[in-house]
Amino acid sequence: MRITAGVDVGSTQTKAVLLRENGDMKIIARALVDTGANVQKAADRAFRACCSDAGIDPREVGYVVGTGYGRYNISFGHSQMTEISCHAKGARFLCPGTRTVIDMGGQDAKAISVGENGEVLDFVMNDKCAAGTGRFLANAAEVMGISLDEIGPLSLQATRPVKIATVCTVFVESDILSYVAQGKKAEDILGGVHLAIAKRTLSLARRVNIEAVVTMTGGVARNTGMVKALETVLGSSIQVGADAHFMGAVGAALFAMEKLGQSFESTVWEGAHAASRRD
Amino acid sequence: MEKQRSEYRGTIHQRQKDMMMDWYAALDRAAGGQGPPTVSMMISGNCVELLEGFEAAPIYPEVNALQLAIRHQSLEPILAAEDIGYASDSCAYVKADMGCYIKGLTPTGGKIPTPTLILCNFVGCNTYLKWFEHVAKLTGAPLMVVDVPFMRNDEPSAADIQYVVRQLHEVVQRLEELTGRKFSYDRFQQAVACSARSEELWSQIKHLARSKPAPFDAYFDAITLMGPLYVYRARPEGVAFFEAALQELTAKRDAGQGVYDQEKFRLVIEGPPPYPHFRTFRDMFAKWKACTVASTYSTVGGLFEFGFRHDPERPFESVAMHMIAQNVTNRNYLQRYDQIRKYVEDWHADGVIIHFVKSCRLFSAGQGDMRDYFTRKLGVPTLYIESDLEDPRYFAEAQTRNRIDAYFESLEHAKTTQAMVGV
Repeated sequence: MRITAGVDVGSTQTKAVLLRENGDMKIIARALVDTGANVQKAADRAFRACCSDAGIDPREVGYVVGTGYGRYNISFGHSQMTEISCHAKGARFLCPGTRTVIDMGGQDAKAISVGENGEVLDFVMNDKCAAGTGRFLANAAEVMGISLDEIGPLSLQATRPVKIATVCTVFVESDILSYVAQGKKAEDILGGVHLAIAKRTLSLARRVNIEAVVTMTGGVARNTGMVKALETVLGSSIQVGADAHFMGAVGAALFAMEKLGQSFESTVWEGAHAASRRD
Repeated sequence: MEKQRSEYRGTIHQRQKDMMMDWYAALDRAAGGQGPPTVSMMISGNCVELLEGFEAAPIYPEVNALQLAIRHQSLEPILAAEDIGYASDSCAYVKADMGCYIKGLTPTGGKIPTPTLILCNFVGCNTYLKWFEHVAKLTGAPLMVVDVPFMRNDEPSAADIQYVVRQLHEVVQRLEELTGRKFSYDRFQQAVACSARSEELWSQIKHLARSKPAPFDAYFDAITLMGPLYVYRARPEGVAFFEAALQELTAKRDAGQGVYDQEKFRLVIEGPPPYPHFRTFRDMFAKWKACTVASTYSTVGGLFEFGFRHDPERPFESVAMHMIAQNVTNRNYLQRYDQIRKYVEDWHADGVIIHFVKSCRLFSAGQGDMRDYFTRKLGVPTLYIESDLEDPRYFAEAQTRNRIDAYFESLEHAKTTQAMVGV
């Protein structure tokens, strides 16, 4: 039996999973914490929460791969991979047949074209602009005075979604306020917000070849309104697995398993900044 | 794993630094009334050979700007230019240069003279017209524009060449008036002959990077060799420099020495570098032992690896030809596609990196399509990253590193998979 961990330190939240190989491959624990200001602590907390949840000693974890923006700050990690590789890997594992991944996180939106073997063929990301990311939705929710968890389901009730002219995370506030002042219904405003983001994201994604099966990953995948808006604009269905939010961490844990099994050699995966394990 | 860095370890790096400092010293003397006449020009399509006919020295505002940026000193003059009304997205080279005039800054601390002539050799970049007009207004120096037709087709027409030649004769006449010196056709012809020799050597150096491993990085190291190409190529010391460089790099090639102990990836890079973060950017590639084998930026001052040479038998015509057709910025996009494709094929590259420069429309407009062309049409793995060549505020280190790491992870994966299936 082999156990590995993937720790995905994102800009907003840190995700960790434990993967166990024992004849089959199974996720045995998940943890989600807010990243906050101390990236190292967030990674540590998420990892330990996983171990505690699974009832194992951290030393039983044979290999830890870090991913996400804070990956180099994971003091107990053996190596690092970018979340682009990890999301592709995780999506192919949990959603077989995936050829395109749309990942929407706190500050990133990315589209990844995935090959037959889970390899990254091409990818595009938003550049220095939070349009099309979770941050945009969080801002919209804040302006509307509605919780982030509620905005997705509420947007699904839209009958006449408004047109949001901007996709700027900052300027959307004034757009929303002007619709509020006009007495537009909250669900119609949110419907417009979700469609605007969907259009922006798919315009980014079209720069890679969008091929079925399309899988959505990242924290925003939990927003049912966003998934629906993307499907509407794309004109076809999108897969969302139960572990969409953890996809980067799952991919990292899978890479860790490969590394542990030495299924193939790859010296670069040692990571230039890998610190030795603390335990 | 020890942090991987690449350093140019030869002697020519220091030698080029010394040469560039000598040039700045000459400019400083000129500012004090003791040096040569000076002519301010744009690097792309510069006609430095013509200046030799007057024993005049070039001033390159772009070199001043990049020297400031690489020394982490570009933000202060950029902000000074924005204070007087330059927009945040106008060319950062322009802003750095204008800021220097406003604040009295120079990259070396020495003085930059008021040019004897501001010669706007307008090549592809229309921002230059406004830039040099403003320099003329601030300094009071005379301004002359050489209108260089853009490369609409594969070759310039005879009329295009004659159009530029006639303007070059007007430049000669104007410089005779301004300097009080008689133009020496013999010196001009000798300068053109020197350029032809320097260009031949530079071309041979570029072709050394076709070897595996490449003995130098044709982006990061090439940039350090480009200063002498702009300032000295038309002089015997330029020829001597490129002879030494060729000798040194050929010895490295013959000894099988690459930039890294084990070259893992070979790249073509399109676009200028982020000078304010030059070392950080270079280290991002060094980490992956990725060596640039060819770059378009190293052809802004002349495209010599495909055979063009200045011709002492036809000095004016060949200078005109260089200005119109033999520098990357005045060539059309299809020609740039073709240039990069040849690099990928003949220099045996694994992929292409496109560095989009936010404040440079000249270089960057159309690069999104270029990415699609290489990725989709030719199947060449192509990474598109964005920052700026002069403004330090547009470089997002974590985002840039993330994209570069992901790109190499995918190349690594592809190589490993190909090795496993015996491709």
